[in-house]
Amino acid sequence: MNVVPLGPINPIFKEPIRIKLIVEGETVLGAEIEMGYVHRGIEKIMEGKHYLKGIYLAERVCGICSYIHTWTFAECIEHISNIEVPDKARYLRVLTTELERIHSHLIAISVYGLSIEHETFGIWCLNTREHVMDLLETITGNRINMGFNVVGGVRQDINKEMIDKIYKKLEELRNDMKNILEIYNTGPLINLRGRGVGVIGYKEIMKTRAVGPVARASALPESDWRLRHPTYKELKFKPVWAKEGDNSARTLVRIKEILASIDLIEKILELYQESTGAVRNRVNIKGGSGEWKNEAHRGEVTYKISLTDGGIIKRIIIRSPSVMNLEAYKYMLKTCPTVSDAVTTYISIDPCISCTERTIVLVDKKTGKTKPYSFK
Amino acid sequence: MIKEFFRKRSINVCIVNTGGCNGCDIELVSLLASRYDIEQYGIYVHNNPREADVLLVSGPVTLPWKNRLKELYEKTPEPKIVVAVGACALSCGIFKEGNVCGPVDKIIPVDATIPGCPPRPSEIIQAILKVAPIALSKREEHLKKIASEN
Ligand code: SF4
Repeated sequence: MNVVPLGPINPIFKEPIRIKLIVEGETVLGAEIEMGYVHRGIEKIMEGKHYLKGIYLAERVCGICSYIHTWTFAECIEHISNIEVPDKARYLRVLTTELERIHSHLIAISVYGLSIEHETFGIWCLNTREHVMDLLETITGNRINMGFNVVGGVRQDINKEMIDKIYKKLEELRNDMKNILEIYNTGPLINLRGRGVGVIGYKEIMKTRAVGPVARASALPESDWRLRHPTYKELKFKPVWAKEGDNSARTLVRIKEILASIDLIEKILELYQESTGAVRNRVNIKGGSGEWKNEAHRGEVTYKISLTDGGIIKRIIIRSPSVMNLEAYKYMLKTCPTVSDAVTTYISIDPCISCTERTIVLVDKKTGKTKPYSFK
Repeated sequence: MIKEFFRKRSINVCIVNTGGCNGCDIELVSLLASRYDIEQYGIYVHNNPREADVLLVSGPVTLPWKNRLKELYEKTPEPKIVVAVGACALSCGIFKEGNVCGPVDKIIPVDATIPGCPPRPSEIIQAILKVAPIALSKREEHLKKIASEN
């Protein structure tokens, strides 16, 4: 048995992580994952800070899915202190989240394309993504880390010109995505490369609690938390799913989800145009603690916050989806014949290391005692 | 001769995320898209420190990275340039009170900085193009020195 170390700096990894693949010949037997390179202790920084500062820190948990973190943070506090959010703000939040989902999925597909050495496909997706970034910049004012959400609503309204621009760009995007889907389905070099590689079934999903596109590609559509969100219920949202559970199915689910997101955005724009009023409410923070879940681009994200009457954060626990998905990686390795397949499988679950490295245990430096990070 | 001529016109870049939020990394990756097309300037993103000329460091240096970053800097072959990307790499930014051991220039020498959270891709291209001539002239000097020694 030999060990092949990958990372922390690797041509194909976006983020620093160290994976030790245990191999015999070319066959991969198992993997050991070493993390901690991106742990900054955001929970600790947030403790004792005002929630207005906390929302910026929540945004910087992860740069790819920054918006969904602020949304969940804001909704958690709104849930604790019973704050009503205006209709317009609710729709704008969904609009921006879905745009961000498109950009995040496009990055995932593109990196997958690069990892199977199909550079044309990868760069094509990356180029399509730039149009989405343009839309995000028009709506919020920045490409990444937008600072658009506040507790009680959103920061700004959009106008008629922007709506026209969004409609126009969405139409172009839909055509592009249809082309990409066709190439993906018919191009044998892309699709066949992932068939039967990194398979994970229902049983293992239940064991590891994998979420997001990984679970949905293994015939678990009900794992989508958008089904339980009040605004998405209004839109009659239906999740996309596949049943093969391999690399190819996971990427296919992502491509189809982008098309579904485009439909959702068009629906939400109609609802938005019918609604009137302000985009932001005055807030009155009450103390207490509560929990809120949302569907991030990689699976469910949970925020658990306890705060005082003035709005000072006492304790915050963030759980992000990639933890469970990385656990599922162990089972996927059983159907990876070579080392390069193991790498593409790792890319196909689209792990986000900045999200994953959250506080789990606390160690007392003097006594060396450990205890789990909890509310008590 | 031929090798010298071509090596002058190709710059290899290595992206190192030392604990940032990913935002800066994503903007660096989007440089590959054909809208910005960084390769038309002869800049290649290889992510391999052993053949890099420019190290793009993003993020505050977290504790596990402290020694690794020094090692990485030593591994990079000689005429080398370090560019710190983003507010985090310049001053630790928003993570100042966290599990970090300081901005990048505390650990390794930094030649150029790009402020912003995150900086726009066009700004990053501009910065790389500004420091690239320095890297090239440094390399020429280095090659001359080697030639005179032999
Ligand atoms: S500068 Fe901003 S975008 Fe860049 S890593 Fe730091 S927090 Fe993220």
